Order: sequence, then C-alpha cells, then structure tokens
Amino acid sequence: MAQVTLNHVTKRYEDVVAVNDMNLEIRDGEFVCLVGPSGCGKSTTMEMVAGLTKPSEGNVHIGDVDVTTLPPKDRGVAMVFQNIALFPHMDVYDNISFGLRLRKFDKEEIDRRVDRASDIVQLEGMLDRMPDEMSGGQRQRVAIARAIVREPDVFLMDEPLANLDAKLRVHMRTELQRLHKELDTTIIYVTHDQAEAMTMSDRIAVLDAGELQQIDPPLVCYNEPENLFVAGFIGSPSMNFAEGELVANGFESEHFTVEFDPSQVPGASVGDRVTLGIRPEDVFTVDRVQNLSSATASIDATTDVLEPMGDEIFVYLVLGESAERSMEGETASSNQLLMSVNPDSDIQEDQDVEVVLDRSKVHLFDTASGQALAHGIEELPGPSAGTGPDAGTSAGTGAGEGTESPVTEAESDR
Amino acid sequence: MTEDDSPQSRAGTDRDDDTEAQPDGGRYLSVKEIPETAPTTDRTWQTRLVDAVPTKRRALTYVVAITVAVLWIVPFIGLFMASLRPLSEIIGGWWHVEGMTITLENYYQAWNYSTAPMGRALRNTFIVTIPAVLVVMLLGVMAAYPFARFEFPLKTTLFFLILLVMAAPPELVAMGNYNSLQEIGLFDTYMGLILIHIGWGLGWVVLFLRNYLLGIPEELEEAARIDGASRYQIFRTIILPLSTPALVSVAVIQFTWVWNAFFFPLVFMRSPELYLAPQVLPLMRGRVQVEWGMIAAGSIMTMAVPVILFLVLERYYKRGMVAAVAD
Repeated sequence: MAQVTLNHVTKRYEDVVAVNDMNLEIRDGEFVCLVGPSGCGKSTTMEMVAGLTKPSEGNVHIGDVDVTTLPPKDRGVAMVFQNIALFPHMDVYDNISFGLRLRKFDKEEIDRRVDRASDIVQLEGMLDRMPDEMSGGQRQRVAIARAIVREPDVFLMDEPLANLDAKLRVHMRTELQRLHKELDTTIIYVTHDQAEAMTMSDRIAVLDAGELQQIDPPLVCYNEPENLFVAGFIGSPSMNFAEGELVANGFESEHFTVEFDPSQVPGASVGDRVTLGIRPEDVFTVDRVQNLSSATASIDATTDVLEPMGDEIFVYLVLGESAERSMEGETASSNQLLMSVNPDSDIQEDQDVEVVLDRSKVHLFDTASGQALAHGIEELPGPSAGTGPDAGTSAGTGAGEGTESPVTEAESDR
Repeated sequence: MTEDDSPQSRAGTDRDDDTEAQPDGGRYLSVKEIPETAPTTDRTWQTRLVDAVPTKRRALTYVVAITVAVLWIVPFIGLFMASLRPLSEIIGGWWHVEGMTITLENYYQAWNYSTAPMGRALRNTFIVTIPAVLVVMLLGVMAAYPFARFEFPLKTTLFFLILLVMAAPPELVAMGNYNSLQEIGLFDTYMGLILIHIGWGLGWVVLFLRNYLLGIPEELEEAARIDGASRYQIFRTIILPLSTPALVSVAVIQFTWVWNAFFFPLVFMRSPELYLAPQVLPLMRGRVQVEWGMIAAGSIMTMAVPVILFLVLERYYKRGMVAAVAD
C-alpha cells in the first residue's frame, strides 16, 4: 500500500517532450485512470512510475521512498501490459510464479500465493496450461494473477483490456473493480477509453500533450470540466461547442444566443470570445421541457441525421432558420448541434424543430485559453430576475448546488 | 492428395453457408447447430476423385514443380546408384538398371582409403564443425541481443561493419589470415580453422538473430524486469528459450556451411592426417583410373551428416527461418 507522487516530472525524447512538468498525487488505495488521446504521455507517465523509463527532470515517490533512480524490481510495483506479455514458453504456473521464483521464495510460499492469486482471478485448474492454449480473457487473468502474487504496493495497468473484444472488456471491467475492492491496493490504470475511466476509477487524470489537464472524480470531470479539452474528451459522444462572444445580455454566436447576465461569469467581460459547451443530453426539444425550469430561449433547427442507439437517439441538428447543411471544414461545427432524445420520440430526419438548452448545464470556456469560466448559468436578471431569489449563487467555478435539481426533473421527463 | 483435399473443401463450403445464415456474421455456430458428431466425408469416391482433379492452371503448376524437383534429385540419385554398384556397372551410365548388383564395397573402400581414410576425415570434420557451430550460436546471440535491444554509441556503424564483413569474399579472408595464423602458430591446426569459421560465420548469424530478436515483444522483457529479473536473467530465462527456433536454424545452416567448406580447409590444413572430409574426396580419384564408385560413396557419407541433421531439426528450422525473415 502506498501513495504515488510525481513532482514536476518531465520526460524528453530527443526533441519531443512526452511529459511536461507533471504533478500528480495518487492516494493510498486509490484507483486512478490516466486517460487521454494517443501520444498524450499517459503511457510514458506510467513507465516512469514503473521504472521502465527514467524521467528527465523531477522525481517520483512511492510511499515515502524516492524511487526516481530505483530499478523496477525495487519499487514494489507490478504491471499488466496491453499485449498481456505472458511468457509464451512457460505454463500458467510458471508465468504467475516467475517473479517469486526470481526472488527465491520457498516452494510452499510460492504455491500458497499462486493458489490464492489464481483463486482471485478464477483460474483454478488451468495452472498447467500454456498461454497459447487459452483465450484472450483467460490470458489477461493470468497476467493479472502474475501481478497479484507479488503483493505489490501499486498496480500499474497499461490498457490491459484494449486487446479484448467488446463484451469481454465490459466483463473484465467489473472484475477489475471487484479486484480493487478485494485487494484495496493503489491502482494506476492507463486507457484511452473514457468509458473505462468513467466506470472504474475513483479519480480520473486527464492528460493531453504531456500535461495534466484535470484530476478529479469521474462525475466532476464530466460535470465540471476544467477546460475545453477535458470537456471534449470526457463523455461520448462529446460535448457540443459553439464559439461566440460574451455580450451585454448573454452569449451570442453566429447561429443562436443564450441570454444571461454576463457579470456572473468571473474572469470574463463583455466582448470576450467565449465558447459555449453543452452536452447532447442537455439539449431538449421544446415540447419535452415542461418541467425544465432553466430552459433557454428556443433555438430553431432542422434535424439532419438520426443515430438510434436503442436506449436513446442521437439527433444531429443544423442550426439556423434557413438551415443549410455544411459539412466542410471546422466552421461547420458551429452550426451543428448533437442532441440526445428519448427512443420513443417520433422525431424524423429533415424535420424543423425548436430546441432549448438546459441553462444549468451550460458550460462557458475562454476561447483563447480553453479554461472553464462557468458551469451552469443563471437567468438574465431584470424583468424576470426577481423570480429567482437564489440567482447568482451557482454562478462561477463552483457550479455545484445550482446544477442539480432542475436537471433531475428534466431527465425524469425525457 | 485426394483424401486431404476433399474434407477441407467441404469445410470451406460449410463455413460459407453459415455466414449467410447467421446474423452475427457467422463467427459462431449457435448451440443447436453444433452437430453431435464430427463431420464425415459422406461422398462417394467418384465425386471425391472429380473434386481432386486439378484445374488447368493448377496442373501446370504441378508440372513445373515436378520438373524442377526431378532435375534437382536426378544427380543425387545418380550419385547414390554409383556408390552402391561396382565400377564396371556404372562406367557405361548408372541409369542402366538391368542386372544391377548392389554392394557396399565402395563404402568399405572409401572408409579405409589408404591415403586419407574417410572414417578419420569424418571424425576430423566433426572436431572442427561442432565447436565452430556451438561457439557461433552462443557468441552470435550474445552479440545480436544488444543490437536488437540496447542503445549504444556507434551502434549503426558497428552493425554496418558486421554486414560489410559478410560482403567480403572468402578468398580475402583466407589471404588476410594466412600469415596471421602462421605467426601465432595456429596454422595447420584445428583451432586455427575453427577460429576462421567462427569469424566468418558470426556476420550472418548476428544479422539473422538480431532480426529474430526484434520480433520478440519488448513487453515480455519489461514484464520480466518488473518481476525482478536482471538483464542476464532476462537473457537466460526469456530470450534464449524464445530464440530456440532461430538458434536451431543458425545451427543447421552454420553446420552445413562449415561441414561442406572446402576452401578454408584447403588453405589452412596441410597435414594429411588432419584433412577434413571435403578435402579427402578429390584425393580419391586414384592414379590409374578414376574410382567413381569410391568417390560417390565418400560423397554420400559426407553429405549424409548435414542432411540427417536437417531432417531431424526441420520442424524448428522452418519456424526459425519464417520468424527471422518475416520481420
């Protein structure tokens, strides 16, 4: 058991900076996922914790020990690899006991630990099989058992489920959570699959371009992303973004406006370029928002493509009254909006609809820096402002309280 | 051929049918569709025969392949026939098979040939070949591993130099080493010849093994490192066992090369009692008339050793070759 700390860790490869000034504190017994797109430095970060790569700058602590220069074997870590990396010429027993045999444990102790580990990952009766006689899921269990027997302080898992088929992956996800509960060991888990990160981890560390963007519990990353990158990366399909300007009565983009009091957005003033973000499930058609107390004014749109998922339908909307579908280039995204609707909905393609956004779920980001300005915005004060005595409380970065209640209503309605 | 082909083609059509029937793309049979017994070939021999008759294109391929095979094997058959028959019978051509006498007299004579008996020559050849092969395997894999895994200064240059040695003609190697072997007193000794073979063989062995080692996933080594293995332990417990197919390939090829080498022994071995088998063969020509039978018997004995080795290790050899070349 140990916490893992990275202090100002930087890793350079010749002219590429893989990890840039990373500060990370992972608590004892915590399950932390490092997520990010390919090449964001998440694997390099893990390798530096494992000791397979030495940081160019900074130091790594496991427990109270500075392990920056220690070889992997003295760090008390065990690792599960993406391609499983079982030794193909050894049977399951030899694979699992490899580390123990190297450390000259006595035979009885090895047997006891192998039995326990294979019991935990449900590999009983397979100890004499060779890796090539096993299925992908079984091999992955062997790899996990190989990590468990060492009774490490920290588990490192580098995309361990990436090579499994979708069904098995979901299954193994649950198994890993069960395992974490049972072992209560610190687990650092690298994945590019944000669904894995959301479901399993205590906290998610979102990485991009070698830098830590945010480390928070999954729902905080989801509901209060610290910047545009996190907002776009966490959640599938990703958040809608619209670039626009902060004006005297709210937000104005090329295709729609959202009215609110710009003074409640800290760190931004009227005239600033801001980006509005809204998740697909926080966009509603007007006829379905009776209970939504914080709806914005309606926006005209035309439905484009529908993607029925079974439990919901993703509707691609084209904004503007005389909506012209433009697919070309990046500018096109600003007049598109993805909406998630109830599967019972009779919505059709090429249908004119009016949609509203859930005001409490609107995110505002500084376009230039990408930093979040506000999560959830209050109604425009003035004629209608008197209705909300608590107006303004939920504004700003701590969007916590104000975001909850209206949404539950809205969702139960959907 | 017939038995082999028919069940396979049947299995193929079965699979196709499933693909159409199954909504999931036919990857799995549904439980009720799994038959109780294994499929049998329930067709008559006539239909199977018809299936087995190749198409024109395929037939042409067979013809070409068989022709090449025959051209390849005929000289060997000739040699084999000559080694088993008295000189009088083969002087008019070994292909006259009527009234053939089979005798091992030629083998007996070659084995005990007075100038340089084949028995001794074969023993000498083993003395040179076995160490030359084993040392090359060991040194080769130890040199190849750093080239495959480590980063060190001049890595590319050194590797290029190794390749360059491979491009040098053996005559150059012989000339260069003639004097040096004499100076250090290893001329006309097995040790000298063994060293020449080791040096000459290392180039391709390092190249070959490096390519093979590159194909072993690095994660295996990282996993071993995290489990606490040192570099040496990784090499011994992971790399060496996994390189067995490649090492066997190296052994077979290097063995054949050293065993059959004629030029190096000719240059470096001068004492008749130290002569190797390939050196002895030309001596068997005789003074008055060419003893074709004895030469043939000597040749068969000489070539038998690498051929047997190859046949014994063929399974590993193929795996090693495929993996080393595939990268």
